[in-house]
Amino acid sequence: MHTTDLLSSAFTALRRNTGRSTLTMLGIVIGVGSVVLMSSVGASMERVILSQISSLGSKSMVIFPGSNQEGGASQVFAGHDSLTFEDIERLEQLTTIESVAPIVFMPGPVKRGREESSAQILGAHPNFFHNQNMEAAEGRLIDTFDEDRSARFAVLGPDAKEELFGESDPLGKEITVGERSFTIVGVTKPLGSQFFQNADDRIYVPLSVARQETGQKYASYITMLATDSFDIAFADVKGLLRSHHKIENPKDDPEKDDFIVRSSEQANDILSSVSLGLTLFITTVAAISLLVGGIGIMNIMLVTVTERTREIGLRKALGARPRDILLQFLAESIALTFLGGVIGLGFGLGFGFLIAIIVERFLSTYEFVVSMPSMIASLIMACLTGVIFGISPARKASLLDPVESLRYE
Amino acid sequence: MPPLISLTGLHKSYFNEEVETPVLHGIDLKIDSGEFIAIMGPSGSGKSTLMHILGFLDRPTKGTYAFLGEDTSEKNDDALALIRATKVSFVFQAFHLLPRATVLENVMLPLLYHPGIAPSDREAYARKAIASVGLSDRESFLSSQLSGGQKQRTAIARALVTEPALIFADEPTGNLDSASGLQVMEVLEKLNAAGHTIILVTHERSTAEFADRIVHIKDGLIESDTRSHKRRRASADVKLK
Ligand SMILES: Nc1ncnc2c1ncn2[C@@H]1O[C@H](COP(=O)(O)OP(=O)(O)O)[C@@H](O)[C@H]1O
Ligand SMILES: [Mg+2]
Repeated sequence: MHTTDLLSSAFTALRRNTGRSTLTMLGIVIGVGSVVLMSSVGASMERVILSQISSLGSKSMVIFPGSNQEGGASQVFAGHDSLTFEDIERLEQLTTIESVAPIVFMPGPVKRGREESSAQILGAHPNFFHNQNMEAAEGRLIDTFDEDRSARFAVLGPDAKEELFGESDPLGKEITVGERSFTIVGVTKPLGSQFFQNADDRIYVPLSVARQETGQKYASYITMLATDSFDIAFADVKGLLRSHHKIENPKDDPEKDDFIVRSSEQANDILSSVSLGLTLFITTVAAISLLVGGIGIMNIMLVTVTERTREIGLRKALGARPRDILLQFLAESIALTFLGGVIGLGFGLGFGFLIAIIVERFLSTYEFVVSMPSMIASLIMACLTGVIFGISPARKASLLDPVESLRYE
Repeated sequence: MPPLISLTGLHKSYFNEEVETPVLHGIDLKIDSGEFIAIMGPSGSGKSTLMHILGFLDRPTKGTYAFLGEDTSEKNDDALALIRATKVSFVFQAFHLLPRATVLENVMLPLLYHPGIAPSDREAYARKAIASVGLSDRESFLSSQLSGGQKQRTAIARALVTEPALIFADEPTGNLDSASGLQVMEVLEKLNAAGHTIILVTHERSTAEFADRIVHIKDGLIESDTRSHKRRRASADVKLK
């Protein structure tokens, strides 16, 4: 039997039994569909997160006050008094670190006339903008001169600007923070979200002003850039802070520290563990649904073989070898799973596209991603399911005795 | 030239759960190319069993079967399948057509398993076979839409399409009314006249009389083997009236 004969007889058989074929394919459709959908969503999320990381830069590090809890969960204490300005001076002297920028939060509310903003107010050292790869969209950022003379200048994040000024030009206008008024000198370009927080709903004022206003002796957090390798800088920073904070921690137990160091590298690690988790999940779903679908296919193929016993006897009488019959029924079950796979692929991509349309409204960096390897892999898996679960019914058919099969009622 | 078929001391028993049912008890038979031979006998005498062995659908328990001078006992299943695909074919009492396929598709079916006929030639072969049984105007009918006689003629076309050396017909008129049965027998007679070897299995004398030679089987043994070079159509006609 030629390959084309196998294919055409397989698809003819499926067409003659459309209703049953459709039901049988359902398991495979769901399996392949969900795998394609989830890997598309996974790939899209990965892009969103990667774009955040690239906006931070791979050498960016952040130190928070607080400590890591048992089991890896970390607890950041925003008001925790552990990062002193002496620490910062020492950090600046590390050769593995460049551009240290402490931050001090200022309490709100922020007002412009009757408009009020919920934006976070950051007293930011001028290095902060460099560390975060930030640029001004309008006007300028806060500079060393502003810092040194404690100028009452403010720079708005794009969301804060939108909230307070709408479409009108904010430059040169006044806002009040607490009791004090500040002059707007610039608006930053959008950052998106960082460490899963909106980094655009912020207002920046000089660090020196924030310290005067709040009387804070501790930094709310510190951003830095590693000169070279993150790993060495990480060890240096921990060693320095531990010796200065008198923390004995030879075993590098993060629970004993009173600070937490984070980097985009770590975010990368988190991302890869998330995508590993997602991959495992997808694989499990695929395996279960293909198993269930495969068992369904095996049952239907056994029924088909029984129903078509006389046809099998006839084909043998006409000269079909056992191998021809085996291949014929195997081709049928593979056609069933392949078709189910293609339909599932269509549904998966369709839903992925719909989800992208919806999510894009909330998360502008989200875009529809087609994961080619997972599409190919799931089609191959579907076909393999056809082979694995189709082989035993097909073998049964191929071994039927022609005379008895012809007599079968 | 060796005979087409040569059987010596052929035995056949069926075994079901260790229970032996002997059916054929030593058959010696020679059949030449071009013969139209009827195997006759009462129901249960072993006619179909013999035909299945002759047609390579089953194997004898004992004895030898030489086909075109070649002993077939050493041949494996694939070799026997190849003989069925190329040298012999069957017409069954129950037609065994694929109900949801057209006449043309049914007749083309054996060509799937014929290694010597190219896929592109299949339709031409099938059309020719359909024409020779007079069903050209029914080619695209589903086989389930045909009358009994038309079904059997389609089955004959299917048997012809591979141009086999030998056609077996097991009670081909058994499911037909007498008029359609007569038509089918006339087609077989015509095929024999055109040079096809035909082995007919029947328990009806009137059907057997279309053959040139009648072999009677009883209880698994050949009871008589008679030749008649005179056609018996006239008597069949009389009987059908
Ligand atoms: N598979 C089988 N197992 C056991 N006995 C069988 C089998 N097939 C046929 N027989 C028996 O063999 C005998 C001959 O059957 P068969 O060749 O079909 O007779 P005929 O065609 O002459 O009516 C019958 O008695 C039948 O019951
Ligand atoms: Mg019989």
